[in-house]
Amino acid sequence: MTLRQKTDPKGVETVAVGFDVLATELSGRFSAGVESPWSDTDFGSLALRVFEYQFEHNPTYRRYSERRGATPKTVRAWRDVPVVPTGAFKHLDLVAGDARTVEAVFHTSGTNLRGGAPGRHLIPRLSLYRASLLPPFKAHLLPDTDSLRFISLIPSPDELPRSSLSHMVSAAAQVFASEVHWVVDGSGVLDLELLTAAIHDSISEDEAVLLLGTAFAFVHALDQDALGSLPAGSRIMETGGFKGRSREVSKVELYATLSSETSVTVAHIVNEYGMTELQSQLYTPVMSEQAHDGSAHVLPPWMRVRALDPSTLEELEEGAEGLLAFFDLANAGSVCHVLTEDVGSVRHGRVHLAGRVVGAEPRGCARAMDDLMAASDASL
Amino acid sequence: MSHIFDAWALPPGVTLPHRPSLSFESGSTQVRYLDADPDWLARVLDALGDSRSRLVDRRAGDLCVTLGAVGARLLDPGDTLRMKALEYLPADAGLSAEMATVVLDGMARDWAEDGLRELLDAEFTDVACLDGFVERQGRISMAMGPGLCFQIIAGSVPGVGVSALIRSLLVKSPTLLKPGRGDSVLPVLFASALHEADPELAAALAVVYWPGGSEALENVALLGADVVVAYGGDETVAALRGRTPVTTRFVAYHHRVSVAVVGVEALGRPHAEASAASLAKAVAIFDQRGCVSPRVVYVEEGGTVSPRAFASLLAQSLAGLGRDLPSGGLDRAEASALHQVRGTAELVAASESGVDIHHGGDAPWTVIFDRGPMDLAPSVGRTVQVVPLTDLEQLPDLLARMGTHLQTVGTAGLGDREQVLASRLGRAGVSRVVPFSEVPFPPPWWHHDGGNPLGDLVRWVDLGSE
Repeated sequence: MTLRQKTDPKGVETVAVGFDVLATELSGRFSAGVESPWSDTDFGSLALRVFEYQFEHNPTYRRYSERRGATPKTVRAWRDVPVVPTGAFKHLDLVAGDARTVEAVFHTSGTNLRGGAPGRHLIPRLSLYRASLLPPFKAHLLPDTDSLRFISLIPSPDELPRSSLSHMVSAAAQVFASEVHWVVDGSGVLDLELLTAAIHDSISEDEAVLLLGTAFAFVHALDQDALGSLPAGSRIMETGGFKGRSREVSKVELYATLSSETSVTVAHIVNEYGMTELQSQLYTPVMSEQAHDGSAHVLPPWMRVRALDPSTLEELEEGAEGLLAFFDLANAGSVCHVLTEDVGSVRHGRVHLAGRVVGAEPRGCARAMDDLMAASDASL
Repeated sequence: MSHIFDAWALPPGVTLPHRPSLSFESGSTQVRYLDADPDWLARVLDALGDSRSRLVDRRAGDLCVTLGAVGARLLDPGDTLRMKALEYLPADAGLSAEMATVVLDGMARDWAEDGLRELLDAEFTDVACLDGFVERQGRISMAMGPGLCFQIIAGSVPGVGVSALIRSLLVKSPTLLKPGRGDSVLPVLFASALHEADPELAAALAVVYWPGGSEALENVALLGADVVVAYGGDETVAALRGRTPVTTRFVAYHHRVSVAVVGVEALGRPHAEASAASLAKAVAIFDQRGCVSPRVVYVEEGGTVSPRAFASLLAQSLAGLGRDLPSGGLDRAEASALHQVRGTAELVAASESGVDIHHGGDAPWTVIFDRGPMDLAPSVGRTVQVVPLTDLEQLPDLLARMGTHLQTVGTAGLGDREQVLASRLGRAGVSRVVPFSEVPFPPPWWHHDGGNPLGDLVRWVDLGSE
């Protein structure tokens, strides 16, 4: 398996048309917003149609499903659609349709358990991606306004063209930003002058700011004393953890420090949870619902989540902790049902994240071969 | 009923630390550890240091007899020590009861007197060199064990800790053993039996667990020891090495990886079935957690049984062993990793890439047949990858990129190519080339990771005559 296995294109033209019809319909539904929940029947029937499309147009996924006895004829509920582990994105282009006509390719950073080649997610239509991105972004980060000044500690897509996170900020900025300041370069270096000037301008023009960054970037900025008080109405979107980074800070501590440095209240610090393998994002509803503890993440209505028993992959009862599996209709162009390595519980359709299943002392003295291969051949 | 196992052994005169013990549940057994603090650990080191003057006056041959007698108790089915070990080992090490028995038998064989004598004889031409100066070919020298040996076992392959403590006691070194989590029962039982048999020798041994990475505790031991022996992952060992004084000898048993190779001579009928069965056992023992456990099997093409068919045979054997020698349970992270590995391999297999996957469902064995390099290589459960090889001659070059981490190559069917291939594998970094049946349990005298298990601990003193 030296080469990424390409999914066979099948009837290129028909496929493209078929997907465009589906993508247009889904985009229309997504654009109606996130305020009204989708009924299980509504979600379920769309899910089965999307599975049928993916089954038909992704031969790899079709054979995988058939070997599990799952076909559009036998599958009666979205729960029974075969689940794909996030690790598979490292090895396969899981696109339904022609891999050559995709509009974007997003690479994973550290979402896979082990090192080695990054995973990648082929995005057939960016219009569908944007349709799934914008309504939840608006609902959770701009529930009270249509426009803000963006200051991004996430590098721009010009710097990191393959980062889904960079693309996300850029796509949101095109719609919601009066202006956007990219203050971190592609290698993660913070431009202090740019940041100071951006904060200074926002204050002198008294325009509220949306400050976006990863937890790690915020810790770095705080270490350099680079943040300052932001205008009233400002807010912060924090995403990601410290996966394998040198310094760990608890989320509570980070938010408290961020709040005191920027004058943005903790009630205006929203956590975004997403991964390259899923097109949709989840948010803590601290602004959208004035939720106090911020411990739950809200899914858009076109997404479902289950916590699964780590051994059997059976669905766990409400509130029990297990491996999280998502069904994301925005993934219509690839695979919708994705098994992650993240642990959490599900209550009332919302996710309570508990972390990632790594970190335990490994048992035994033998190291994974792929770790070694990755270490000795990092250029692959 | 819940059992409590106190996982520590202390030299006489050392009281327990004031802070309460910590405990970890393991099935029906609660394993309790001491909540050690640096000052208390320093007192343990002082007590160990005090034992040295009596230890150095003992004869190495006598120590071998005493230690070997305790080792033999762990092999004697009627002995309470063995019964206790088998009672606690499954929960401590996360192994099935059947596997615990196989592992204890395999490991303890090296701890009985005959094994220890073999080790001493292999390491020192004349064992008397540990007791005084001996003359050999006109040279007069004596081998001295360190004043204090700190053995830190980060992994959790059961038995490694006992092998380690025996080695340093054999060279008359007071020993502080920090066992790996999951390998504390055997060293503690060994220490308690040693105390019954020979309190003076037992006074030179302390077994204390603390959670890995507790720098304040580790630093006390690293600064107090004359020789540090560290087992574990590369990162752990590197961190320990970095904090060890330059004047302290540091023996590193870092990450290791082992593979297997099957030549055409073992791929006829019915040899292939026997080779697969023997290999399956090497994979299954330690539930694939040992540094000796083969993770990738290179199978030569051109035999009666093809590499792909050999993968099926191996799967059948692993399925059988899943019943006779069941696997221990997987924790949440391991279970998750296994789903990722299997699901990914199944998808890759479905992409008509020529990949095959066999697995045991609830039984965590998995065989992946894959032509390419090991980017699917699993690291969880009894999981093994089978890779076809057009010519065995390619193997040393294939393995060379992992050279610094290579350990054992298990072999079958190499015929008269064995010696030439073994020397080329050795140059690639391999330190052990043995038949499948010998893979899991090296002999007592083995050159552990290419070194000298006792020789690496001692310091030689040369004496010139006037």
